[in-house]
Amino acid sequence: MAGQPMYVIVIGGGKVGYYLTKHLLERSYEVTLIEKDARRAEQLTSQLGEVVMVGDGDEMSFLATTGMERADVVVAVTGDDEDNLIACQLAKRKFKVPKTVARVNNPANVRIFKTLGVDRSLSATEVLLDLIERELSADPAPQGRAR
Amino acid sequence: MKIVIVGCGRLGAMTARRMAEAGHAVTVVDYNRQAFNRLGADFPGEMVLGNGMDEDVLRRAGIEHADGFASLTNGDNRNIMAAQVAREVFKVPRVITRIYDPIREDVYRELGLHTICPTLAGARQIHGMLKGA
Repeated sequence: MAGQPMYVIVIGGGKVGYYLTKHLLERSYEVTLIEKDARRAEQLTSQLGEVVMVGDGDEMSFLATTGMERADVVVAVTGDDEDNLIACQLAKRKFKVPKTVARVNNPANVRIFKTLGVDRSLSATEVLLDLIERELSADPAPQGRAR
Repeated sequence: MKIVIVGCGRLGAMTARRMAEAGHAVTVVDYNRQAFNRLGADFPGEMVLGNGMDEDVLRRAGIEHADGFASLTNGDNRNIMAAQVAREVFKVPRVITRIYDPIREDVYRELGLHTICPTLAGARQIHGMLKGA
């Protein structure tokens, strides 16, 4: 299968979706970015080229037009956990996508999403929390700054 | 029975009132305090302010001891997620969810959720009534 690029579908054209798509394209992935809002999609198209599709990432009939049944990975990065969950579940169960990845806001949803069939999920809140706590535990006597 | 209802709109509030009047222990969850006004001043059940997809909020609503659960917010995806959390995480024996979008309803019914789709039910009823006219 050499020479065949991986096909990644990114759902949600916010900042995370934009940078993710940009970097995937730079690394020669085949990418489709799905954005609900037509005006935002137009803006994204002017920056990323013709990889943007306007539509609802939770709408079956629309998803069928994105070539999802041949996607290798679906990444859902909208700002709403529930939308990301449903997008990944539809991808997985209706389009047999082998790998689904979700962004979550509530760190507790990392575990819940796993239970509900999403392959990988990532919480920026949790990552930041970890980082802060690791920095603090590197300090032998963590305490508040003198004020 | 102990019942948890997420979403205190017209359907959520009416369902909550009916079940409470029938003697069940009902807890309603909504993230908008104003929504609880729909229950009326004499509502005998409990009200929990918060996001009905958040497991901590659901715990506060007593979901661990619930016999039944219904997600009846205005958002299909919110309802679907809350229903799955109730079913898969908290193992509530009876879980119902409202889904407006008939296609999504079809998908999740197939995947094992107990769903009601007011769009489909309404269209069927209207069709029947028009035919009869």
